[in-house]
Amino acid sequence: MSTKYSSGKKIIFVFLIFTVVCGLACSQQPIGQSNNLTGSSGSGTVSLLGKGASFPDPIYKKWVSEYGKVNPNIRIDYQSVGSGAGQKALLDKTADFGASDEAMSDEDLKKGDGEILHIPTVLGAVVITYNLADVKEPLKLSAETISDIYLGNIKKWNDERIKKDNPNLTLPDTDILPVYRADSSGTSAVFTDFLSKTVPAWKEKVGANKQPSWITGVGTGAPRNDGVMGQVKQTPNSIGYVELTFAKANNLPTAQIKNKAGNFVEASLEGVSAAAASSVGQMPEDLRVQITNAEGENAYPIASYTYILVYKNQPDAGKGKTLADFLWWAIHDGEKFTKDLHYAPLPTEIVKKAEAKINSMTAGGKPLRQ
Amino acid sequence: MTTLTAACAVFAIVILLIILSYIAVRGITSINLEFLVDTPKPVGEGGGIGNAIVGSVMMTLLATLIGLPIGIGAGVYMAEFGNNWFGSTVRFISDTLIGIPSIIIGIFIYTLVVLPMGRQSGLAGGLALAIIMIPIVARTTEEMIRLVPNSMREAALALGAPQWRVIWNIVLPAASAGIATGVMLAIARISGETAPLLFTALNSRFYNYFFDQPMSSLTVQIYNYATGPFDIEHNMAWAATLILVGLILTINIAVRYLTRKRF
Repeated sequence: MSTKYSSGKKIIFVFLIFTVVCGLACSQQPIGQSNNLTGSSGSGTVSLLGKGASFPDPIYKKWVSEYGKVNPNIRIDYQSVGSGAGQKALLDKTADFGASDEAMSDEDLKKGDGEILHIPTVLGAVVITYNLADVKEPLKLSAETISDIYLGNIKKWNDERIKKDNPNLTLPDTDILPVYRADSSGTSAVFTDFLSKTVPAWKEKVGANKQPSWITGVGTGAPRNDGVMGQVKQTPNSIGYVELTFAKANNLPTAQIKNKAGNFVEASLEGVSAAAASSVGQMPEDLRVQITNAEGENAYPIASYTYILVYKNQPDAGKGKTLADFLWWAIHDGEKFTKDLHYAPLPTEIVKKAEAKINSMTAGGKPLRQ
Repeated sequence: MTTLTAACAVFAIVILLIILSYIAVRGITSINLEFLVDTPKPVGEGGGIGNAIVGSVMMTLLATLIGLPIGIGAGVYMAEFGNNWFGSTVRFISDTLIGIPSIIIGIFIYTLVVLPMGRQSGLAGGLALAIIMIPIVARTTEEMIRLVPNSMREAALALGAPQWRVIWNIVLPAASAGIATGVMLAIARISGETAPLLFTALNSRFYNYFFDQPMSSLTVQIYNYATGPFDIEHNMAWAATLILVGLILTINIAVRYLTRKRF
């Protein structure tokens, strides 16, 4: 009894010390960190929170950090939770701005508490990566071939339909293991949009969706970009699709994709910019657009804009002004950070259109940027 | 038979050692003082997990402050007064609650706290962790109190002590070592949770000392670093994992050390 009692006391004592130490650790303010928080009222510090797509996460992290250096009294945080969750956060109002690779649907836009603006920020691409040990030169694939692989019509790497586009490569007589995104993802949306536009059979059987219903028995699913990348890296004879940033940062082999003009184009920032440039004319008024399968000799066909989503009429004038100023900074000064992080900057014409959108933001009926 | 079971025992230990040493090897190179105090930064600029450590500790403390009294109280009730339909219902529900995947608790708190508040917060994260903690603490408390011999209660009652005094001064102190073990294990368990925090506390790139704002935690930060495109982020994820495993291991070892006389 007495030993039990004393050891119990000891534990409580240790627990108390733990609490006190933690309390001390919490209260210690690191140098250079502002302790000011929320809102525009009072303190002069404005906090904004954005949530959404994981694809632009590296560049948005860079932007909020750089913008914070220029404006020390502004704290903007961006958390990547996925395109779908980003749209939902805006509708639920659990974030000051959302982010999504895919434009919001008309149906979802109606659920919003007021008009929602799509501000394009940067461009990215989806690349096809594969694991073929003996293939050193880039594989060439057309939309039909990719579609047939994911529909289960092409089962072997040395299938005539693949060989036709790759006469110089010796392709193995092994089964193809397609890997797809198991979770809801903007990457899947862009990938399936490209195939839906180009292959009628794909449009009929799978369609374009963030989380399409994949053909049963063909391939395996993996979560997130890193999941697909890991699966392809570990599995010989597999094929998968990931964002360009992932491919570039990890030196993955990427296939050249046949574009609308009939050329096989490597996944590159130039190819993405070319796709953006050729589709500038088709940009609708609300800037919601898919630029897959774009015109142009060098256009990379599986490219897309990524958007920041904001309410046109901001609930708080102080926060709204900060958000509008940040967006303005992002599409101008921010674009210079794109290259190092493997994104393509917006074409000049689109920057102009985005400027108009930002200038149309209001709070309580008053424009925020005049 | 002895050889076979011994082989199984060795196998179990070897797996643990392999996991620990692999984490140590991958993580140790990225750990330095800057990493321990800095906030996350854009890729290529370093950055660390200082705010995540603080956030994790704060939310664990909040969860403990809420979960401990409720859990112990419920445990006392079940052991001392719970031999009726209500007691067995509570017991059954506690057991079910222990088995519920923690992400569901995250969604529950998201609906209950995050949506009305209009933002994710450390408070929501702490509440989600508290809900995970309560049934674990309640059940261990109950088990430990049931081990206290009835003769002790009878002796105290015979001396004229009221029931609350018997529980407070005789039963609880006698069971305290066991209860403390349960509490420490519950703390170790919740400090390793990611899923309930993803929806509730979210994450933050700033040091945050207020529970009404999104709060960073080690586990969510590991998740973010590990799923990023860049190798340098993956290394930081390993380092953060090492820190987290170190913290949990310290708690576990402390419990074992302090309660070793009982076994």
